[in-house]
Amino acid sequence: MSQNHNILSAAESLIQEHFELEPNLENVIWINSDKTTEIRLLEINSMTFPAGAVLSFYFPPDEEFPYPTIMAEITPEEWQKVLRNEIPLPEGWTLENHKVYSREMATV
Amino acid sequence: MTGRQNWQTAFLNQAKVDWDAYQKTRRGMWPECHQLLFLQMASEKLAKALLVAGHSSLEAITQSHAAFVKFMQIASNNRKLQRAFGMKKSQQRAQFKSLLPIAYEIELLAPALAQRGPNPEYPWEDATGNILTPANYPFPLVIRLRQTPQGLQLLKYIEIFLNRFEELFM
Repeated sequence: MSQNHNILSAAESLIQEHFELEPNLENVIWINSDKTTEIRLLEINSMTFPAGAVLSFYFPPDEEFPYPTIMAEITPEEWQKVLRNEIPLPEGWTLENHKVYSREMATV
Repeated sequence: MTGRQNWQTAFLNQAKVDWDAYQKTRRGMWPECHQLLFLQMASEKLAKALLVAGHSSLEAITQSHAAFVKFMQIASNNRKLQRAFGMKKSQQRAQFKSLLPIAYEIELLAPALAQRGPNPEYPWEDATGNILTPANYPFPLVIRLRQTPQGLQLLKYIEIFLNRFEELFM
């Protein structure tokens, strides 16, 4: 099994789990999904508290999930501001090669 | 150690001494405003100690005071916490969610977020034109922290996170 396939499978199972656990999660953006060494997720949650910035948190790999994961959670309004370049993404994050997951896609 | 690791250590160390100061002001005859000031500072720096390991710019991290609630939201996904506390993912998520309103109250104590309202540092003017002083203000949050399950649980988590940060978050 290729490295790309492994990280794809791990990322998508993580995204599915988050949709199952969080009913207010609208979309998950897998940022720079071409990277094979870490998973960057931007979660759009209608019930999260706005911070006016994309604050990303690091989760180290462990025996259960072998990829470092960097996650941020923002409101739908903040996501629109990100798209309009009014709120910057974290350092090194771009919207090139991103994938958008909706609840319907993730739970198929 | 990288620059980011140095920042992480620095935020964590400062969070710990802020927490120690909070404990001392809780036990002594200190005004409630000072208790809350140290609690707000400890919780913000705890959050930033984790935040600085991510990819957010140092400028965004140092300028924002809205870090603690995000920390609590994101921490609910932490697998190490699930194992350490023996909780299922759904249980942990639900428990952390129940703590968010009181975490938000703590976060809003930062004068920059208090929007000219109650905060533990600076006087403010209320809707009727009265000038209020933090030293004399009966913060309802103090009671909620001491007497509600959510308040007590949140304080317990902050203490655990500070004492076991390396084990749980690194």
